Amino acid sequence: MSDRSQARSVEDQRSRSERRPPRQPLLPPTRTRRIPQPILTRTDTGFRRNRQLVRLGALLHDVGHAPFSHASEELFPDQEDGEGNYAHEQYSAAIVRGPLKAAIEDHKLNQGNYGFTADDVAALIEGSAAAKQGIFWRDLITGQMDADRMDYLLRDSHHAGVQYGRFDLRRLISTVTAIPGADGRPPRLGIEYGGWHAAEGLVLARYFMFTQVYFHKTRVAYDIHLREALKEMLPGGHFPRPTPEELGQYLKWDDWRVLGLLAEGKGGEHGSLLSTRNHYRLVFQTNEVQTQTDREKLTRVREKLRDLLAEEMPAGKSWYKRDDSDIAVYRNRDGQKTVAPLSEYSNVVRHLGSRDQIFVYCRPEHRREAAKRVEEAIHRLA
Amino acid sequence: MKFCYLLQTLRGVPLGYRFTLYSYGPFDSTVLSDLNTAETLRAVESNVTFYSGGYGYRISKGERADSVLQFAAPLLDKYRPDIEWVLEQFGSHGSADLELEGTIVYVDREAVRSSERLSVDQLAQRVRDVKPHFNEDYIREKVSTLREHGLLKSCSNAATARG
Repeated sequence: MSDRSQARSVEDQRSRSERRPPRQPLLPPTRTRRIPQPILTRTDTGFRRNRQLVRLGALLHDVGHAPFSHASEELFPDQEDGEGNYAHEQYSAAIVRGPLKAAIEDHKLNQGNYGFTADDVAALIEGSAAAKQGIFWRDLITGQMDADRMDYLLRDSHHAGVQYGRFDLRRLISTVTAIPGADGRPPRLGIEYGGWHAAEGLVLARYFMFTQVYFHKTRVAYDIHLREALKEMLPGGHFPRPTPEELGQYLKWDDWRVLGLLAEGKGGEHGSLLSTRNHYRLVFQTNEVQTQTDREKLTRVREKLRDLLAEEMPAGKSWYKRDDSDIAVYRNRDGQKTVAPLSEYSNVVRHLGSRDQIFVYCRPEHRREAAKRVEEAIHRLA
Repeated sequence: MKFCYLLQTLRGVPLGYRFTLYSYGPFDSTVLSDLNTAETLRAVESNVTFYSGGYGYRISKGERADSVLQFAAPLLDKYRPDIEWVLEQFGSHGSADLELEGTIVYVDREAVRSSERLSVDQLAQRVRDVKPHFNEDYIREKVSTLREHGLLKSCSNAATARG
């Protein structure tokens, strides 16, 4: 290559790199150091340690999900103490304490700097008293403004090719702050006043993603088929427990294994419906917020459909929770400090309420007959 | 939230919630989802009340409370003694006290699950590790009171403290 062409090449490269937008980190740098330290009695070293622990907790809190995550959660076995069935967080904590223990505890950076144990991370994930004051950060792992939610809304929105899940992530993160406790309550995480519209955007993004994507009638139908197909595949119809004896078996159940079994024709009738994409069809749905008339209609539809009713699926969600987990907004105006929930500022959030919609499905071959019966049921009520 | 926790944990009422520990003590977001549903049904009303440096929520009967109560009457009748017991024992306590009491019971039950027996001081110390904004003596006093009422299992009167 001649000197001139070499020079042009370097110039081209420089020019290309100048045209390229500067590389942005996936998430902007956090501003935890801006949190008033006396509130939390933490030094910079303490903050750095906590930040690393929260990162580990956030990274690992969902590793315990079963294949196709929430779709198969109903197949977790019952706990021995009678407190319902296991939750995926318990599997996450067991995986952290088991297969991931060495990776965390023997890591040179950890040994030389933080000295975290697998128990430290697991305690934060499962909300155990062993997390001690680290409990303060748990809202970032699982809460109304947790890192997972901020990530999945944007990620799912992008990959589903929709715009519903978008909100101003950078603005929101840059306004996260610690709010001093009052009236004997502990400090808590919240947002500065300037960030409340960004927080409102997050709540609305979630509302739209659920109503338009996650609760789409066909997507919900596939939850039914996945759950029922998995029930056929699993010995005893449920996953192994998150105990040292059974965890290894549980970890073998991943998406690939399930897809492989489906391709082999396993999973019974529902496996077959999945493979052929011949899913259940929606024949009736209540309004998002059920009225008395909706409930009466639903009862009548159930009676009319009888054996044609294949499955009912709840599609309920609360968009903004009040009380302990609400989003607190901190305002410091001319030295006058006030704290109020987001719903006090945002009229939209205040009136979002919750959704308790019910979807009623039939088998594809019964679609016409079922639609006819639903029509009769509704017509009789009209 | 704390009444539900105490009702489920101390009285064994099968509410089906899965509580874990947060800044304000035992918490399950499903309780708040259910509260939202109750609000949507106008069974309850929730209003923000402000005090110096903070705020809270006042939950009161909604305009359709009676019809919802009627609907749930068989269930409520079954557990009425338990509900009344919780209200009798804790109904007059402020939110900070309920937060502390809920946390003490939570830490106690965690110890039971891992087959530990704790002295009052040990249990109080674990609670203090999570809730440093409470005075040490006050935590110990609360632990002792709950213990005297037979509500703790890891440091019950019969339990022998380890270490």
